[in-house]
Amino acid sequence: MEKSDQKVGKVFLVFAGLCIVALPFVVLSAFSFGHKEIDTAVIETPDLDFDYNGKAIFENYGRISKDYLEGISTERTLSEYYSRRQYLGSPPYIPHKVEEADRTQIECLTCHAKGGWTEELRRHTPLTPHPEQAACRQCHVPKAEGEPFVSSNWMSVAPPLLGRSALPGAPPPIPHDLQMRGNCVACHVGPGAVTVIRTEHPSRGNCRQCHVPDSYAAPFERKTRS
Amino acid sequence: MDISRRAFIKSAAVQSAAAAAAVLFPGISFGAWKSLDPSSGSIEWKKTPCRFCGTGCGLLVGVSGDRAVAVKGDPNCSVNKGLCCVKGYHSVQILYGKDRVTKALIRKNGKLVEASMQEALDLVAAKMKETIKSHGKDAVAIYGSGQWSIADGYAASKLFKGCIGTNNVEANARLCMASAVTGFLTSFGLDEPMGCYDDIDHADVFVTWGNNMAEMHPVLFSRMLANRQSKSHVKIIDFATRTTRTSQAADKSIIFRPQTDLAVANAICYEIIRNKWVNWDFVKKHVSFHKGKTNIGYGTQDHFKFTDKAETVDFEAYKAFLEDYTPENVEKISGVSARDIKYMASLYGDPDKKVTSFWCMGMNQHTRGTWINNLVYNIHLLVGKISAPGNSPFSLTGQPSACGTVREVGTLTHKLPHGVVMNEGARKLAAKIWQVPVENIDPKPTYHTVEMFRALDRGDIRFMWIQVTNPMVTMPNLRRYRNGAQKDGRFIVVSEIYPTPTYDVADVVLPSALWIEREGFFGNSERRTQHNGQIIPTPGDTMCNTWQLIEVARRLGYEKQFPWRRETYIEDIWNEYIQFHDSPKHRMAPYKELTVRSGIQWPYVNGLETKWRYNAKYDPAAKGGGFDFYGKPDRKAWIWLRPYEPAAESPDSEYPFWLNTGRVLEHWHTGSMTRRVPILHKAVPESYVEINPEDAAALGITHGSNVKISSRRGAMVMKASINGRGQPPKGMVFVPFFDENYLINEVTLDAFCPISKQPDYKKCAVKLERA
Repeated sequence: MEKSDQKVGKVFLVFAGLCIVALPFVVLSAFSFGHKEIDTAVIETPDLDFDYNGKAIFENYGRISKDYLEGISTERTLSEYYSRRQYLGSPPYIPHKVEEADRTQIECLTCHAKGGWTEELRRHTPLTPHPEQAACRQCHVPKAEGEPFVSSNWMSVAPPLLGRSALPGAPPPIPHDLQMRGNCVACHVGPGAVTVIRTEHPSRGNCRQCHVPDSYAAPFERKTRS
Repeated sequence: MDISRRAFIKSAAVQSAAAAAAVLFPGISFGAWKSLDPSSGSIEWKKTPCRFCGTGCGLLVGVSGDRAVAVKGDPNCSVNKGLCCVKGYHSVQILYGKDRVTKALIRKNGKLVEASMQEALDLVAAKMKETIKSHGKDAVAIYGSGQWSIADGYAASKLFKGCIGTNNVEANARLCMASAVTGFLTSFGLDEPMGCYDDIDHADVFVTWGNNMAEMHPVLFSRMLANRQSKSHVKIIDFATRTTRTSQAADKSIIFRPQTDLAVANAICYEIIRNKWVNWDFVKKHVSFHKGKTNIGYGTQDHFKFTDKAETVDFEAYKAFLEDYTPENVEKISGVSARDIKYMASLYGDPDKKVTSFWCMGMNQHTRGTWINNLVYNIHLLVGKISAPGNSPFSLTGQPSACGTVREVGTLTHKLPHGVVMNEGARKLAAKIWQVPVENIDPKPTYHTVEMFRALDRGDIRFMWIQVTNPMVTMPNLRRYRNGAQKDGRFIVVSEIYPTPTYDVADVVLPSALWIEREGFFGNSERRTQHNGQIIPTPGDTMCNTWQLIEVARRLGYEKQFPWRRETYIEDIWNEYIQFHDSPKHRMAPYKELTVRSGIQWPYVNGLETKWRYNAKYDPAAKGGGFDFYGKPDRKAWIWLRPYEPAAESPDSEYPFWLNTGRVLEHWHTGSMTRRVPILHKAVPESYVEINPEDAAALGITHGSNVKISSRRGAMVMKASINGRGQPPKGMVFVPFFDENYLINEVTLDAFCPISKQPDYKKCAVKLERA
């Protein structure tokens, strides 16, 4: 009994000593900001993550290295990309082997949140545009083996054509919806990207300054006054 | 030599276009546009400033035969170095809208019917003569624009002020830049920024004051992001009333309650003094302290008059004045935490950091617009961060030639190309250059823009010629001014390119040549003058606005003052105009140089541009070894004691929300051009009202549902946008004004800054209902 009390006492003493030593530093760093920037405590945090997670996208861009931005490979084709989807914007299936133990999101994100070369698959990993959604296998499932249960009459529209610039050399519009796919860098930059949709100017940080959504709208017409 | 160079450029352009197409679209056919006849030849690239905002990007327009077919950024232009925004890349499509006005129109029996240019111009001149005869010279007016070419504004000023002898010359830049001008004049004695865009590459900290640059000055914004990306310590602070794309990209977003920027700016100065961060060396040598009138009103009544009076005070009086603005006091007014105020002060106060402040409409469209401009200069002056690379209080302009045409040519009621009408010396100089008797130039200013439209409503003005602007969408408290323009006995001439709500009230429509269909000059935010040649032919009967003015001037008997030949009139006007600015403080570049270079900054002295004014290191007009604020008689920059005063109309129990209005990236002003560009229209096909998600939930409003917005002046039903492009804080809504089908200015208030006479489009009180 006595022995363990002494142990607790010793630990406490060491802790108290550390606190006393650390106190002046804490106090000093709190009061002597001088020209150091103050890390502010925000009273009302404005909600910055609207408009397809604008804040997260700008921050994510700021963290990506120059090497990655400029990375190039020719591994991925557009037809392969579409072959893994049922329609435009559907979650692609998982094209590689997944072990049964691999149930948790973290293991998907180990590769798909940061990219890089996988020795096992001999390719560069594509990035997810929505790493904040952590339950990956809620939407992405391995491809079923064998024949379908019954065949299907499913049809959908053709993928958008490339080269839809309004003028030669003008920035093409965004042909897809931005919900969960607003992070341009994920699919249009780096060695994991599909070759023909990779941008040649990844160093420009504000993509939507030039590329705007191509949504359906009737042409502009005046409501003429009589 | 010349031929081989041109041939080389041509072949290089063809090669680069072909290479670009092959790289961008491997094996893919172009289906979206109609091809020209292949025999029409290859693309030739010609330089022009962009048609849209005050950034003044250099463009290269691809021309094939008679048509503009492509655009790229001009790599030789230091403004944008080859990059554009989505409007710039598609700008040439504004030339080809199907409903382009190509014939003159005259209203007969209530309907606009086609007429010859001769008949229309004869009628305009006859109506002017008749109106002057029956109602006096001050019954005719011209209302122009910051999108006027320099030659347009110059011809208008010479005709109205010099020949007819009325000061009824105004421009929409009054709605856009007037507070910036009075801010510069009161603080420095001379208009326009001391710095330039190079500041963006040098600064360590950027503070955007109510300025959504990511959408409104996107090319400068991306230059700022590039600076931050290349250096790990660079910070962007967005100080605004609404959360925007700029806030999202910034390192920190600070939201303040509308109008309280006045209090926060003073609190920053209070902190700078309290922490002993004042740059005394600079302040003692280069700064003097002044106070003006307070409780200055809002101008909502007809015939409102105000003149400020400066009183010189000392630093101690300034310090005592700031005692009311402790961060803790200001936190209560502004909703900005004392810590955030101290944080901003610490950034401005750090002697090792170069700080650039940017602002535009948030500070200018403000019933205390002159004051808030003064207050931000105060901050920079206290710490001596001004007129040096990266240290820059930078007032951005909205329009491509608000600086070039309105501010430099002086197309405002009190202005002349050099100086003001009240000044005898300025009148004499103008009379000499214009070859008119000096008595012609009236020493008394008449109406500023809001008062000019009130005078039209009252009947004091009977004839108004409107060029390159769309006031029947943009005037605040619009219904009064539209009804006024449609009253009997009013005659409205509109020089236009497309049908608009202003065209709808016209008695004569003159079809105008647009942008690269004529030769002209713009002047951007950083004192850069930019020339474009006529790149493509004018369609139909369209005529350059300058030539329209010359034709009417000659019909009024002023052949002597408007003698120029069609082939060279733009060059001749330039050579006459620059005589007004022939001093090292404002010398303009010669015509020949402007035609070959992608813009040249003034003062242009001994073949060199002046990048930073008031600093002898860069500015030949500055005397001595260091700073010299030569604009003021005491050769000092003025710090002003300007208090916080509330807005003209604030939310109350009946009208509980602030209404804020503005632009979006894709549309230019009233959308008369950009809505005719398919890609821009599809990206933002109609206007909407942004509502905070919590307010929307409390009112049962969902995204896309209809909302009725009403004020004491009018009401509008439009769709709600929740979690869209921008997000107002609780208690505020935001509406873009580009859509003529939702005239939000019927709801806004025509209160203005008593000093600048610029209306406040950012603050009035409204209520919301489900509709």
